[in-house]
Amino acid sequence: MNAELFENLRLELRRGCLILAVLAQLRAEHYGYALRKALAERGMAIDENTLYPLLRRLESQGLLVSEWREEDKRNKRFYRLSGDGKLILKQLLDEWHAINSSLSRVIEAEVEPNRSI
Amino acid sequence: MELLDRYLHAVKSGLPKAQQDDIIAELAEDLRSQIEDKEAELGCSLDEAELVTILKQRGHPAAVASRYLPQQYLIGPALYPIYRLVRKIVVVWVLVPVFALVVAPIAVATASHPSAELVKSLWDLAMSAVFTVGVVTAVFAAIERYPVEHKTWEKWDPRRLPRVPKTEPDTRPTPRATAIAELAASLIFSWLFVTWFRTTFDLGGVRITLAPIWRSLYWPFLLVLLGGVPVGWVSLIWPERTPLRSSIRLAIHGVTLVLVVILLRARMWVEIAAPQFPAAEIAQAVKWTNLGIGITLFIMAIITIGEAVHEVRRIFRRKPVRPMVTSSIAGN
Repeated sequence: MNAELFENLRLELRRGCLILAVLAQLRAEHYGYALRKALAERGMAIDENTLYPLLRRLESQGLLVSEWREEDKRNKRFYRLSGDGKLILKQLLDEWHAINSSLSRVIEAEVEPNRSI
Repeated sequence: MELLDRYLHAVKSGLPKAQQDDIIAELAEDLRSQIEDKEAELGCSLDEAELVTILKQRGHPAAVASRYLPQQYLIGPALYPIYRLVRKIVVVWVLVPVFALVVAPIAVATASHPSAELVKSLWDLAMSAVFTVGVVTAVFAAIERYPVEHKTWEKWDPRRLPRVPKTEPDTRPTPRATAIAELAASLIFSWLFVTWFRTTFDLGGVRITLAPIWRSLYWPFLLVLLGGVPVGWVSLIWPERTPLRSSIRLAIHGVTLVLVVILLRARMWVEIAAPQFPAAEIAQAVKWTNLGIGITLFIMAIITIGEAVHEVRRIFRRKPVRPMVTSSIAGN
Protein backbone atom coordinates (compact mmCIF):
# COMPACT_ATOMS: atom_id res chain seq x y z
CA MET A 1 0.00 0.00 0.00
CA ASN A 2 2.70 2.48 1.04
CA ALA A 3 4.88 1.56 -1.94
CA GLU A 4 1.95 2.02 -4.31
CA LEU A 5 0.99 5.31 -2.70
CA PHE A 6 4.56 6.52 -2.89
CA GLU A 7 4.79 5.53 -6.55
CA ASN A 8 1.60 7.45 -7.40
CA LEU A 9 2.79 10.54 -5.55
CA ARG A 10 6.23 10.26 -7.13
CA LEU A 11 4.72 10.11 -10.62
CA GLU A 12 2.53 13.09 -9.81
CA LEU A 13 5.53 15.03 -8.59
CA ARG A 14 7.59 14.10 -11.66
CA ARG A 15 4.89 14.90 -14.23
CA GLY A 16 5.40 18.66 -14.33
CA CYS A 17 9.17 18.33 -13.97
CA LEU A 18 9.35 16.07 -17.04
CA ILE A 19 7.77 18.74 -19.23
CA LEU A 20 10.32 21.21 -17.97
CA ALA A 21 13.16 18.75 -18.60
CA VAL A 22 11.98 17.96 -22.13
CA LEU A 23 11.60 21.63 -23.03
CA ALA A 24 14.99 22.46 -21.55
CA GLN A 25 16.68 19.59 -23.37
CA LEU A 26 15.12 20.67 -26.65
CA ARG A 27 16.88 24.01 -26.61
CA ALA A 28 19.14 21.90 -28.82
CA GLU A 29 17.64 19.80 -31.58
CA HIS A 30 17.13 16.10 -30.86
CA TYR A 31 15.26 13.19 -32.38
CA GLY A 32 13.15 11.09 -30.03
CA TYR A 33 15.54 8.28 -29.17
CA ALA A 34 18.49 10.63 -28.72
CA LEU A 35 16.39 12.88 -26.52
CA ARG A 36 15.41 9.96 -24.34
CA LYS A 37 19.05 8.90 -23.96
CA ALA A 38 20.18 12.44 -23.22
CA LEU A 39 17.56 12.82 -20.50
CA ALA A 40 18.42 9.42 -19.02
CA GLU A 41 22.12 10.31 -18.90
CA ARG A 42 21.20 13.43 -16.88
CA GLY A 43 19.13 11.39 -14.43
CA MET A 44 15.70 12.18 -15.92
CA ALA A 45 14.82 8.82 -17.44
CA ILE A 46 11.49 8.96 -19.19
CA ASP A 47 9.39 6.11 -20.46
CA GLU A 48 9.09 6.12 -24.25
CA ASN A 49 5.32 5.70 -24.04
CA THR A 50 5.24 8.93 -22.08
CA LEU A 51 7.81 10.83 -24.11
CA TYR A 52 6.37 10.52 -27.62
CA PRO A 53 2.77 11.46 -26.77
CA LEU A 54 4.20 14.35 -24.70
CA LEU A 55 6.27 15.56 -27.66
CA ARG A 56 3.17 15.50 -29.86
CA ARG A 57 1.17 17.40 -27.29
CA LEU A 58 3.85 20.05 -26.87
CA GLU A 59 4.09 20.38 -30.62
CA SER A 60 0.33 20.74 -31.01
CA GLN A 61 0.49 23.48 -28.35
CA GLY A 62 3.03 25.31 -30.47
CA LEU A 63 5.93 24.91 -28.05
CA LEU A 64 7.95 22.59 -30.30
CA VAL A 65 8.59 22.33 -33.99
CA SER A 66 9.62 19.13 -35.72
CA GLU A 67 10.79 17.93 -39.09
CA TRP A 68 11.55 14.58 -40.65
CA ARG A 69 15.14 14.39 -41.85
CA GLU A 70 17.48 11.67 -42.98
CA GLU A 71 20.39 10.81 -40.70
CA ASP A 72 22.57 7.70 -40.95
CA LYS A 73 20.43 6.57 -43.89
CA ARG A 74 17.30 6.57 -41.75
CA ASN A 75 14.43 9.00 -41.50
CA LYS A 76 14.20 10.57 -38.06
CA ARG A 77 11.95 13.18 -36.63
CA PHE A 78 13.89 16.03 -35.07
CA TYR A 79 12.34 18.30 -32.44
CA ARG A 80 13.41 21.70 -31.15
CA LEU A 81 11.87 24.54 -29.18
CA SER A 82 9.74 27.01 -31.10
CA GLY A 83 9.81 30.77 -30.42
CA ASP A 84 6.81 30.40 -28.10
CA GLY A 85 8.46 27.39 -26.52
CA LYS A 86 11.55 29.43 -25.63
CA LEU A 87 9.37 32.09 -24.02
CA ILE A 88 7.29 29.56 -22.08
CA LEU A 89 10.41 27.69 -20.97
CA LYS A 90 11.85 30.88 -19.54
CA GLN A 91 8.60 31.60 -17.67
CA LEU A 92 8.36 28.04 -16.43
CA LEU A 93 11.97 28.05 -15.23
CA ASP A 94 11.33 31.29 -13.32
CA GLU A 95 8.25 29.71 -11.78
CA TRP A 96 10.15 26.54 -10.96
CA HIS A 97 12.93 28.49 -9.23
CA ALA A 98 10.31 30.44 -7.25
CA ILE A 99 8.51 27.25 -6.24
CA ASN A 100 11.80 25.61 -5.33
CA SER A 101 12.90 28.44 -3.05
CA SER A 102 9.41 28.72 -1.50
CA LEU A 103 9.39 25.00 -0.88
CA SER A 104 12.83 25.18 0.71
CA ARG A 105 11.60 27.91 3.05
CA VAL A 106 8.49 25.86 3.93
CA ILE A 107 10.51 22.74 4.64
CA GLU A 108 13.08 24.60 6.73
CA ALA A 109 10.35 26.42 8.65
CA GLU A 110 8.83 23.06 9.58
CA VAL A 111 12.15 21.66 10.78
CA GLU A 112 13.15 24.47 13.13
CA PRO A 113 10.30 24.54 15.69
CA ASN A 114 9.79 20.77 15.90
CA ARG A 115 13.36 19.58 15.30
CA SER A 116 11.85 16.30 14.17
CA ILE A 117 13.52 15.93 10.76
CA MET B 1 12.06 -8.25 -37.95
CA GLU B 2 8.71 -9.86 -38.64
CA LEU B 3 7.85 -9.59 -34.96
CA LEU B 4 8.59 -5.87 -35.02
CA ASP B 5 6.34 -5.38 -38.05
CA ARG B 6 3.54 -7.32 -36.38
CA TYR B 7 3.95 -5.24 -33.25
CA LEU B 8 3.85 -1.96 -35.17
CA HIS B 9 0.83 -3.12 -37.15
CA ALA B 10 -0.99 -3.97 -33.92
CA VAL B 11 -0.20 -0.55 -32.44
CA LYS B 12 -1.29 1.18 -35.65
CA SER B 13 -4.76 -0.35 -35.51
CA GLY B 14 -5.41 1.46 -32.23
CA LEU B 15 -4.23 4.90 -33.34
CA PRO B 16 -6.27 7.81 -34.72
CA LYS B 17 -6.37 7.42 -38.50
CA ALA B 18 -5.00 10.88 -39.31
CA GLN B 19 -1.82 10.30 -37.29
CA GLN B 20 -1.28 6.56 -37.78
CA ASP B 21 1.55 6.68 -40.31
CA ASP B 22 3.40 9.49 -38.58
CA ILE B 23 3.28 7.90 -35.15
CA ILE B 24 4.22 4.44 -36.44
CA ALA B 25 7.18 5.83 -38.40
CA GLU B 26 8.50 7.51 -35.26
CA LEU B 27 7.83 4.48 -33.07
CA ALA B 28 9.53 2.20 -35.59
CA GLU B 29 12.54 4.47 -35.67
CA ASP B 30 12.75 4.48 -31.88
CA LEU B 31 12.49 0.71 -31.65
CA ARG B 32 15.10 0.19 -34.38
CA SER B 33 17.46 2.55 -32.59
CA GLN B 34 16.94 0.63 -29.34
CA ILE B 35 17.52 -2.70 -31.11
CA GLU B 36 20.69 -1.40 -32.74
CA ASP B 37 22.02 -0.18 -29.41
CA LYS B 38 21.32 -3.55 -27.84
CA GLU B 39 23.01 -5.38 -30.74
CA ALA B 40 26.02 -3.11 -30.41
CA GLU B 41 26.17 -3.88 -26.70
CA LEU B 42 25.95 -7.66 -27.26
CA GLY B 43 28.10 -7.69 -30.39
CA CYS B 44 25.60 -9.80 -32.35
CA SER B 45 22.10 -9.73 -33.78
CA LEU B 46 19.22 -10.15 -31.38
CA ASP B 47 17.45 -13.47 -31.31
CA GLU B 48 13.71 -13.77 -31.12
CA ALA B 49 13.61 -14.02 -27.32
CA GLU B 50 15.63 -10.82 -26.93
CA LEU B 51 13.37 -9.00 -29.36
CA VAL B 52 10.32 -10.27 -27.49
CA THR B 53 11.82 -8.88 -24.28
CA ILE B 54 12.21 -5.43 -25.83
CA LEU B 55 8.67 -5.42 -27.22
CA LYS B 56 7.16 -6.67 -23.98
CA GLN B 57 9.06 -3.98 -22.13
CA ARG B 58 7.51 -1.42 -24.49
CA GLY B 59 4.02 -2.59 -23.54
CA HIS B 60 0.91 -4.13 -25.04
CA PRO B 61 0.08 -2.57 -28.44
CA ALA B 62 -3.33 -1.40 -27.21
CA ALA B 63 -1.74 0.24 -24.16
CA VAL B 64 0.90 1.96 -26.31
CA ALA B 65 -1.74 3.22 -28.76
CA SER B 66 -3.96 4.47 -25.94
CA ARG B 67 -1.27 6.91 -24.81
CA TYR B 68 -1.70 8.83 -28.07
CA LEU B 69 -5.47 9.14 -27.73
CA PRO B 70 -7.05 12.22 -26.19
CA GLN B 71 -8.30 11.76 -22.64
CA GLN B 72 -12.00 11.04 -22.91
CA TYR B 73 -14.75 10.74 -20.36
CA LEU B 74 -18.48 10.50 -20.56
CA ILE B 75 -19.12 12.85 -17.65
CA GLY B 76 -16.35 15.18 -16.56
CA PRO B 77 -15.20 15.99 -13.04
CA ALA B 78 -17.16 19.28 -12.95
CA LEU B 79 -20.50 17.61 -13.65
CA TYR B 80 -19.87 14.29 -11.91
CA PRO B 81 -20.90 15.31 -8.36
CA ILE B 82 -24.22 16.70 -9.66
CA TYR B 83 -24.70 13.58 -11.77
CA ARG B 84 -24.21 11.39 -8.70
CA LEU B 85 -26.66 13.49 -6.69
CA VAL B 86 -29.36 13.38 -9.39
CA ARG B 87 -28.85 9.65 -9.88
CA LYS B 88 -29.21 9.07 -6.15
CA ILE B 89 -32.34 11.23 -5.88
CA VAL B 90 -34.04 9.59 -8.86
CA VAL B 91 -33.24 6.01 -7.87
CA VAL B 92 -33.18 6.04 -4.07
CA TRP B 93 -35.73 8.72 -3.29
CA VAL B 94 -38.16 8.34 -6.19
CA LEU B 95 -37.94 4.97 -7.92
CA VAL B 96 -37.49 2.71 -4.88
CA PRO B 97 -40.23 4.34 -2.73
CA VAL B 98 -42.71 4.34 -5.62
CA PHE B 99 -42.07 0.64 -6.18
CA ALA B 100 -41.98 -0.26 -2.50
CA LEU B 101 -45.02 1.71 -1.42
CA VAL B 102 -47.27 1.74 -4.49
CA VAL B 103 -46.40 -0.55 -7.41
CA ALA B 104 -45.26 -3.68 -5.57
CA PRO B 105 -47.93 -3.70 -2.82
CA ILE B 106 -50.75 -3.38 -5.36
CA ALA B 107 -49.20 -6.01 -7.62
CA VAL B 108 -48.60 -8.44 -4.75
CA ALA B 109 -51.96 -7.90 -3.09
CA THR B 110 -53.95 -8.42 -6.27
CA ALA B 111 -51.91 -11.37 -7.54
CA SER B 112 -52.96 -14.98 -7.34
CA HIS B 113 -49.33 -15.92 -6.53
CA PRO B 114 -47.98 -13.13 -4.31
CA SER B 115 -44.48 -14.54 -3.89
CA ALA B 116 -44.02 -14.86 -7.66
CA GLU B 117 -45.40 -11.35 -8.10
CA LEU B 118 -42.99 -10.05 -5.45
CA VAL B 119 -40.02 -11.53 -7.33
CA LYS B 120 -41.37 -10.06 -10.58
CA SER B 121 -41.76 -6.65 -8.93
CA LEU B 122 -38.15 -6.75 -7.68
CA TRP B 123 -36.97 -7.67 -11.18
CA ASP B 124 -39.04 -4.81 -12.63
CA LEU B 125 -37.50 -2.47 -10.06
CA ALA B 126 -34.00 -3.58 -11.05
CA MET B 127 -34.75 -3.11 -14.75
CA SER B 128 -36.33 0.28 -14.14
CA ALA B 129 -33.29 1.32 -12.11
CA VAL B 130 -30.95 0.29 -14.94
CA PHE B 131 -33.09 2.17 -17.48
CA THR B 132 -33.36 5.26 -15.26
CA VAL B 133 -29.62 5.38 -14.57
CA GLY B 134 -29.06 4.99 -18.31
CA VAL B 135 -31.33 7.93 -19.12
CA VAL B 136 -29.77 10.15 -16.43
CA THR B 137 -26.29 9.21 -17.68
CA ALA B 138 -27.28 9.97 -21.30
CA VAL B 139 -28.67 13.38 -20.31
CA PHE B 140 -25.50 14.31 -18.40
CA ALA B 141 -23.30 12.98 -21.20
CA ALA B 142 -25.21 15.25 -23.59
CA ILE B 143 -24.69 18.22 -21.26
CA GLU B 144 -20.99 17.33 -21.08
CA ARG B 145 -20.75 17.14 -24.85
CA TYR B 146 -22.76 20.28 -25.54
CA PRO B 147 -21.98 22.39 -22.49
CA VAL B 148 -24.30 25.17 -21.47
CA GLU B 149 -23.12 27.99 -19.30
CA HIS B 150 -23.55 27.16 -15.64
CA LYS B 151 -25.29 30.41 -14.72
CA THR B 152 -26.11 29.05 -11.29
CA TRP B 153 -22.41 28.63 -10.61
CA GLU B 154 -21.60 32.10 -11.88
CA LYS B 155 -24.27 33.82 -9.80
CA TRP B 156 -23.68 31.96 -6.55
CA ASP B 157 -23.63 33.89 -3.32
CA PRO B 158 -22.01 32.53 -0.13
CA ARG B 159 -24.83 34.08 1.90
CA ARG B 160 -27.28 31.67 0.26
CA LEU B 161 -25.37 28.53 1.29
CA PRO B 162 -27.20 26.33 3.85
CA ARG B 163 -26.36 26.85 7.51
CA VAL B 164 -24.01 24.35 9.17
CA PRO B 165 -26.03 22.03 11.45
CA LYS B 166 -25.46 22.99 15.08
CA THR B 167 -25.36 19.43 16.38
CA GLU B 168 -24.61 16.00 15.06
CA PRO B 169 -27.58 13.87 16.11
CA ASP B 170 -25.77 10.58 15.64
CA THR B 171 -22.92 11.45 17.96
CA ARG B 172 -25.14 12.89 20.70
CA PRO B 173 -26.13 10.49 23.44
CA THR B 174 -29.85 9.63 23.63
CA PRO B 175 -31.60 12.13 25.93
CA ARG B 176 -32.77 10.70 29.26
CA ALA B 177 -36.41 11.61 28.50
CA THR B 178 -36.31 9.72 25.19
CA ALA B 179 -34.85 6.66 26.89
CA ILE B 180 -37.55 6.69 29.59
CA ALA B 181 -40.29 7.21 26.96
CA GLU B 182 -38.97 4.29 24.91
CA LEU B 183 -38.88 2.03 27.93
CA ALA B 184 -42.35 3.10 29.13
CA ALA B 185 -43.89 2.77 25.65
CA SER B 186 -42.55 -0.76 25.34
CA LEU B 187 -44.06 -1.79 28.69
CA ILE B 188 -47.41 -0.10 28.00
CA PHE B 189 -47.81 -1.63 24.52
CA SER B 190 -46.83 -5.05 25.85
CA TRP B 191 -49.42 -4.73 28.61
CA LEU B 192 -52.10 -3.63 26.14
CA PHE B 193 -51.21 -6.52 23.85
CA VAL B 194 -51.47 -9.10 26.64
CA THR B 195 -54.69 -7.59 27.98
CA TRP B 196 -56.57 -7.02 24.73
CA PHE B 197 -55.29 -9.77 22.47
CA ARG B 198 -58.14 -11.97 21.25
CA THR B 199 -58.82 -13.82 18.03
CA THR B 200 -62.48 -12.89 17.69
CA PHE B 201 -64.15 -9.48 17.61
CA ASP B 202 -67.88 -8.75 17.58
CA LEU B 203 -68.76 -5.46 15.88
CA GLY B 204 -72.56 -5.03 15.95
CA GLY B 205 -73.40 -8.46 14.65
CA VAL B 206 -70.36 -8.70 12.42
CA ARG B 207 -67.96 -11.35 13.71
CA ILE B 208 -64.33 -10.91 12.70
CA THR B 209 -62.08 -13.87 13.36
CA LEU B 210 -58.31 -13.71 13.07
CA ALA B 211 -56.64 -16.54 11.19
CA PRO B 212 -54.84 -19.16 13.36
CA ILE B 213 -51.48 -17.76 12.27
CA TRP B 214 -51.96 -14.77 14.58
CA ARG B 215 -52.39 -17.00 17.63
CA SER B 216 -49.32 -19.02 16.76
CA LEU B 217 -47.26 -15.82 16.58
CA TYR B 218 -48.54 -14.45 19.91
CA TRP B 219 -45.30 -14.98 21.92
CA PRO B 220 -42.89 -13.78 19.20
CA PHE B 221 -44.95 -10.58 18.85
CA LEU B 222 -44.86 -10.04 22.60
CA LEU B 223 -41.10 -10.55 22.49
CA VAL B 224 -40.78 -7.85 19.81
CA LEU B 225 -42.88 -5.43 21.85
CA LEU B 226 -40.77 -6.10 24.94
CA GLY B 227 -37.65 -5.48 22.86
CA GLY B 228 -38.07 -1.78 23.60
CA VAL B 229 -37.23 -2.46 27.27
CA PRO B 230 -33.54 -3.38 26.77
CA VAL B 231 -33.18 -0.61 24.18
CA GLY B 232 -34.58 1.97 26.62
CA TRP B 233 -32.45 0.51 29.41
CA VAL B 234 -29.24 0.78 27.40
CA SER B 235 -30.15 4.35 26.39
CA LEU B 236 -30.71 5.21 30.04
CA ILE B 237 -27.65 3.55 31.56
CA TRP B 238 -25.12 3.80 28.71
CA PRO B 239 -26.42 6.64 26.51
CA GLU B 240 -23.26 6.73 24.39
CA ARG B 241 -23.16 3.03 23.52
CA THR B 242 -24.81 3.46 20.13
CA PRO B 243 -23.50 0.19 18.61
CA LEU B 244 -24.99 -1.87 21.47
CA ARG B 245 -28.34 -0.06 21.22
CA SER B 246 -28.36 -0.42 17.45
CA SER B 247 -27.47 -4.12 17.67
CA ILE B 248 -30.48 -4.78 19.91
CA ARG B 249 -32.72 -2.78 17.58
CA LEU B 250 -31.30 -4.70 14.63
CA ALA B 251 -32.18 -8.00 16.33
CA ILE B 252 -35.72 -6.72 16.98
CA HIS B 253 -36.08 -5.64 13.34
CA GLY B 254 -34.80 -9.06 12.24
CA VAL B 255 -37.42 -10.88 14.33
CA THR B 256 -40.13 -8.45 13.16
CA LEU B 257 -39.22 -9.04 9.54
CA VAL B 258 -39.38 -12.82 9.97
CA LEU B 259 -42.81 -12.49 11.62
CA VAL B 260 -44.10 -10.22 8.86
CA VAL B 261 -42.85 -12.58 6.16
CA ILE B 262 -44.52 -15.54 7.92
CA LEU B 263 -47.74 -13.52 8.06
CA LEU B 264 -47.47 -12.49 4.41
CA ARG B 265 -47.13 -16.11 3.37
CA ALA B 266 -50.44 -16.90 5.10
CA ARG B 267 -52.31 -14.75 2.51
CA MET B 268 -55.58 -14.95 4.51
CA TRP B 269 -55.55 -13.07 7.79
CA VAL B 270 -59.20 -12.60 8.80
CA GLU B 271 -62.56 -14.26 8.34
CA ILE B 272 -65.79 -12.28 8.56
CA ALA B 273 -69.15 -13.71 9.50
CA ALA B 274 -72.37 -11.64 9.32
CA PRO B 275 -75.51 -13.70 8.75
CA GLN B 276 -77.64 -10.59 8.12
CA PHE B 277 -75.60 -9.63 5.00
CA PRO B 278 -75.60 -11.42 1.62
CA ALA B 279 -72.75 -13.87 1.17
CA ALA B 280 -71.43 -12.00 -1.89
CA GLU B 281 -71.03 -8.78 0.12
CA ILE B 282 -69.30 -10.63 2.94
CA ALA B 283 -66.92 -12.21 0.41
CA GLN B 284 -66.09 -8.75 -0.95
CA ALA B 285 -65.54 -7.40 2.57
CA VAL B 286 -63.20 -10.31 3.37
CA LYS B 287 -61.33 -9.76 0.14
CA TRP B 288 -60.79 -6.01 0.66
CA THR B 289 -59.96 -6.37 4.36
CA ASN B 290 -57.32 -8.97 3.58
CA LEU B 291 -56.01 -6.81 0.76
CA GLY B 292 -55.62 -3.90 3.17
CA ILE B 293 -53.86 -6.08 5.73
CA GLY B 294 -51.59 -7.49 3.01
CA ILE B 295 -50.57 -4.01 1.83
CA THR B 296 -49.99 -2.90 5.41
CA LEU B 297 -47.80 -5.92 6.10
CA PHE B 298 -45.83 -5.33 2.91
CA ILE B 299 -45.22 -1.68 3.79
CA MET B 300 -44.26 -2.79 7.30
CA ALA B 301 -41.69 -5.19 5.82
CA ILE B 302 -40.18 -2.43 3.68
CA ILE B 303 -40.02 0.00 6.61
CA THR B 304 -38.47 -2.68 8.81
CA ILE B 305 -35.79 -3.37 6.19
CA GLY B 306 -35.10 0.35 5.92
CA GLU B 307 -34.81 0.66 9.71
CA ALA B 308 -32.52 -2.37 9.85
CA VAL B 309 -30.25 -0.90 7.18
CA HIS B 310 -30.18 2.36 9.13
CA GLU B 311 -29.14 0.52 12.30
CA VAL B 312 -26.42 -1.39 10.44
CA ARG B 313 -25.04 1.91 9.18
CA ARG B 314 -25.08 3.32 12.69
CA ILE B 315 -23.22 0.28 14.00
CA PHE B 316 -20.45 0.54 11.43
CA ARG B 317 -20.31 4.29 11.16
CA ARG B 318 -17.05 5.71 12.45
CA LYS B 319 -17.37 8.29 15.13
CA PRO B 320 -16.42 11.58 13.45
CA VAL B 321 -13.31 13.22 14.73
CA ARG B 322 -14.11 16.75 15.76
CA PRO B 323 -11.49 19.13 14.41
CA MET B 324 -9.72 21.24 17.01
CA VAL B 325 -9.86 24.37 14.84
CA THR B 326 -13.65 24.74 14.79
CA SER B 327 -13.69 27.57 17.31
CA SER B 328 -10.87 29.44 15.65
CA ILE B 329 -12.68 29.24 12.29
CA ALA B 330 -15.82 30.51 13.95
CA GLY B 331 -13.79 33.23 15.62
CA ASN B 332 -12.38 34.39 12.33
